Amino acid sequence: MFHLEYDVMVVGGGIAGQETSLNLANMGFKVILIEKEPSIGGKMILLSKVFPTLDCASCIATPKMSETMRHENIEVLSYSEVSSIERIDKKFKVKILKKPKFVREDLCTGCQECEANCPVNVEDQFNFGLVGRRAVYIPYSTAIPKTAVIDIDNCILCGACERVCPANAIDFTQEPEYYTLKVKSVVLATGFNLFPARKKPQYGFGMYPNVMDAMEMDRLLSPTRPYNAVIRPLDGKIPENIAYILCTGSRDVSVGNPICSQICCMYSIKQAQLLMGALPLADITIYYIDIRAFGKGFEEFYQQAKDMGVQFIKGKVAKIEEIKESGNLKVRYEDIEGSGGVKEMEHDLVVLSVGMLSNPQITSSFKTEELELDEYFYVKQTDPLINPAKTNLKGIFAAGTATGPKDIPDSILSAGAASAEVAAYIRSLK
Amino acid sequence: MKKRIGVYICHCGGNISDYVDVKKVMHSVENEEGVVLAKTTVFACSDSSQKEMVQDILENKLDGMVVASCSPKLHLHTFRSVAERAGINPYEYIQVNIREQDSWAHSDKPEEATEKAIRLVRSGIRRAAQAKPLTPNEISVTNGVAVIGGGAAGMRAAIELADTGLNVYLIEKEHFLGGRISQWGALFESGERGEELVERLYKEIIKRNNIKIWTGAEVESFSGCVGNFDLGIKIHPRFIKTDKGCEKFEEIIKQCPVEVPDEFNFGLTKRKAIYKNYKKAFPEQPAIDIDNCTKCGICEQTCPEVFDFNQKVEKLNLKIGAVILTTGFSPYEPKEGEYGYKNSDTVLSLQQFRRLMELSNGKLVFNNKEIKNIGFIYCVGSRQKGGDNKYCSRFCCTAAIHTSLLLKEKYKDIKTYHLFRDIRTYGKQELLYRDSCKNGDIYLKFDENQPPEVITEGENTIVRIKDLLTEGEEIEINPDLIVLVTGMVPRNNERLEKIFKVPIGRDRFFNEIHPKLRPVETVIDGVFIAGTSQGPKNLTESILSSLSSSAKTYSLLSGGTLQLEPIVAIVNKNACEWCGKCDEVCIYDAIEKKEAEGKTIAYVNEALCKGCGSCIPVCEQRAIELKGYTNKEIMGMIDGIMEEVNG
Amino acid sequence: MTEKREGEFSPKILVFSTNSISDPGIDLAGLLKMHYPPSAYTVSLPCSSGINPDWIIYAFKKGFDGVFIAADGTDCPYRDDCSELTAKIVQEAQTKAQDIGINPARIKMAAICSVCAEPFVNHMKKFSEALIKMGSIKNESGGKDVSS
Repeated sequence: MFHLEYDVMVVGGGIAGQETSLNLANMGFKVILIEKEPSIGGKMILLSKVFPTLDCASCIATPKMSETMRHENIEVLSYSEVSSIERIDKKFKVKILKKPKFVREDLCTGCQECEANCPVNVEDQFNFGLVGRRAVYIPYSTAIPKTAVIDIDNCILCGACERVCPANAIDFTQEPEYYTLKVKSVVLATGFNLFPARKKPQYGFGMYPNVMDAMEMDRLLSPTRPYNAVIRPLDGKIPENIAYILCTGSRDVSVGNPICSQICCMYSIKQAQLLMGALPLADITIYYIDIRAFGKGFEEFYQQAKDMGVQFIKGKVAKIEEIKESGNLKVRYEDIEGSGGVKEMEHDLVVLSVGMLSNPQITSSFKTEELELDEYFYVKQTDPLINPAKTNLKGIFAAGTATGPKDIPDSILSAGAASAEVAAYIRSLK
Repeated sequence: MKKRIGVYICHCGGNISDYVDVKKVMHSVENEEGVVLAKTTVFACSDSSQKEMVQDILENKLDGMVVASCSPKLHLHTFRSVAERAGINPYEYIQVNIREQDSWAHSDKPEEATEKAIRLVRSGIRRAAQAKPLTPNEISVTNGVAVIGGGAAGMRAAIELADTGLNVYLIEKEHFLGGRISQWGALFESGERGEELVERLYKEIIKRNNIKIWTGAEVESFSGCVGNFDLGIKIHPRFIKTDKGCEKFEEIIKQCPVEVPDEFNFGLTKRKAIYKNYKKAFPEQPAIDIDNCTKCGICEQTCPEVFDFNQKVEKLNLKIGAVILTTGFSPYEPKEGEYGYKNSDTVLSLQQFRRLMELSNGKLVFNNKEIKNIGFIYCVGSRQKGGDNKYCSRFCCTAAIHTSLLLKEKYKDIKTYHLFRDIRTYGKQELLYRDSCKNGDIYLKFDENQPPEVITEGENTIVRIKDLLTEGEEIEINPDLIVLVTGMVPRNNERLEKIFKVPIGRDRFFNEIHPKLRPVETVIDGVFIAGTSQGPKNLTESILSSLSSSAKTYSLLSGGTLQLEPIVAIVNKNACEWCGKCDEVCIYDAIEKKEAEGKTIAYVNEALCKGCGSCIPVCEQRAIELKGYTNKEIMGMIDGIMEEVNG
Repeated sequence: MTEKREGEFSPKILVFSTNSISDPGIDLAGLLKMHYPPSAYTVSLPCSSGINPDWIIYAFKKGFDGVFIAADGTDCPYRDDCSELTAKIVQEAQTKAQDIGINPARIKMAAICSVCAEPFVNHMKKFSEALIKMGSIKNESGGKDVSS
């Protein structure tokens, strides 16, 4: 049931937000979780498998998502945004905008009849444009809540969905709703943005069809993948010689992001291993600066990839050019370890291992005070050693990649830490 | 007594009824044994349907219920609570999946889908007929947590747990708190020094009267199960009364005539038999190292009222609900001769070098030689190809680079060489690497198969490296000191591993259940792991896991009671002949050997059993079953599916 | 009632799945409207390492033509060695089957993850074909007391 007062508002329903919500709810606190997308799950649910155990991402993510959705102490508001946060005495007054789904969540059973009858076809953002989706759609097969949403900007209002819906759940009269709530504490689990590969024009992303980013590749490898195969975007050919360009948009002053994204080495090694399984004949080359296999089981995972025959070249890639006739790509790189100098290699598919950028959007919601960010626009940790979730604002905490790049295990630990700190904070209010 | 069962077949709009003839299903099962009522419903999950079900159950005195609709993953809990509201035990409710596993999967063959639905619903009815009411075992839990290991992770967890209202017992083997971090000096994250951080934590701890600290204490025994453990500890005496202070401790320490190598400084210095790790170590009183004490009595003369040489080893039994292991790591100790370690006067481990820096005032001097050039050799004891430590120690690249930055700050002219394999300054730590490069620190990369050579020629030490960054050119450097960037290894914890039965990973650190799902939990319910006992971490990461484990502990104990899942193994006493195979296969230690009615049988500790059922197939007597999945239930389901379908 | 083409039958398959991993994978197959033989029936358990081999034999005696174990593989939430233990169960059941004259190839095991819809469907199709070749269980000596 919906209330007007909660102990904690968690912003962001990715893995860190879910973990924080669940921890706090299990301690007995009332939590409201705000997710801007129509489904909780964040980025993890879209992944294929996860390093270094090669567990399938869905196997880990979906039980957590449904537990979050079902928990009696958690209210989930999907497709919603925080429009303002104001401090009033020891509490916060927060305003939430719930965007209309034009589908009644209480009635929709997720049967997808509407999808089957919708005549509109647009790019599917959850498959990173690899395939299309309808104007009325369920975000993905593992979405929670598993209810449809109408993308009103692309809807032609033909009414087909309304006619076929067996539950009478389509409701074109829905309006944006605003809720004003009181909360004692806020956890920012707002995650990260992927580095847009277009910002590195010399790598040709967006210009050459056979240059893709790693998130697209992860979709191609995922069990819920769009094509059921790994193929080149240009011609549907099965790639035979794939290159990974590490540090695309990370450790790179020229794009304003000198820090390391911490995950790209490992996810590229993971994808390489999955590709070796899917395409046993393909050659895979990883261009790297340093291989940062630092976590538990990571180094072993890296060695395993080497043993499987993945080729690692220490080299900075300067430019990628398309060879017109074949659509193949010429990768020009500085060969650091070999004989040195600038070299060229041809590949038929190039994957850019894009890094993380901060997602500081939430800062504009703070109306009575300013949330401090670090120089790369991540939420600043004011006491990283002892109170890692603490921000400059009392009662406002941060978890997951909101404070800096993290892999999934570290995000989950940081969510655990945030929930502990929030629990202590709320108790101190009494 | 026969069950009275109600059956509901859901249309799910048309999702089921478009392919499955739901009316036919209803008619085919309404005369099954035990079925009192069979209905179809457009949306079983709708509010109105739920209300109707409750009414049906009450009016017809039903004690079993079957809903054939979507996957149990979606609505098992919904209908269990419907059952509960109407007074049926939730475990006597059976959900039959005729959507995902029937109407949708076989939408191409509606007739066969209908037949499958009939068989599935019948199998559900048979299961419902056999289902027994199950109640979660509720146990009350002890408000108490033991934190084993008083380093930063343990201290931080203690504070957090105390703030949630739990009674905390902080148990430290050494006589002083702080662990490894107190040896370290400035920390890269904030510049705060390890000692300062320990002081900050200690001051928070003593503010809280629900934290009890025992130093010089060891764990002796551990028994019981989640929520109610007994922890036996042994406390070694300090020989100094903890309730008495003395202003002259410093003077007393100076007077002590005994000198032994100071382990806190990795043998770089000597300490007395009455000692503190460092001046501001906590607790404030020094301790007496009785093994090395000559009992000369000099210390007692100055301040007699604080000494008590009659103190004995004390044993205590603590009642706790959960335990967190924060036993930390050991620095890797290079083998004798590994890069000249111990064979040369110019080779130190990184941990030793950090102590040297801490102890140095003014010039940086080692063995009477001023240090102006330092060579750092990375990955010593980590990423070993042939050795035991295949893993990366995670903290050391950044630690060495930060050390180099500190050196430059303090000693302008110092020159550092970094002989590395990969620089792993992940995340924002990359900025430190950038600063180091800007400082002019020299980086040379070696191949794992061609590690640098350390050659000692008299007083002179040469390091030879094939530098991959300059096309494998052989380079010689001649540093005043070589610092081996040594990683983390697990503490020698064998005794604790046995006592707590915590599993060990490939890297020999404590192993979590799952790095993503349950990173601070172990297969033993109520035993948590945190900090570097689980694997290499920097301080922030240690604190993250320490706080995570506090959160999990608090969730576990905050309610005062624990509900234990009732799906557990059950032993048929008559059939059991105790062969021990169930005990062998159980990784949760849930099987105990018991004497009952004149024979030895297996007994299931329900608080430990997780309900996987692994013990079932290994039992040759077939004396074990799983509640909720008994032979009668499973075989009933098979019968239900296989009975002929007429019409 | 099962539709039968001339000389062919629809083998009945009993699938043992697991509540948290393989059963959701099988659900997903339905969700994606992927078709597999409707004569496959699923019984879901906590963990495949808890399958009693007697259940498998019982299923044959009751007329199932094949038993498929959708194990968790490495995704098992209970234990690392789940696959090994499940393999042992399969072996034991196969030996028992052979002893009473049932072709051990009627028992099959594969790891099905929670999104392994496609592999599951392929397994069902292939297993069904294999069972068609083996013929009805009723023709095997061990399956004779079906009507009892």
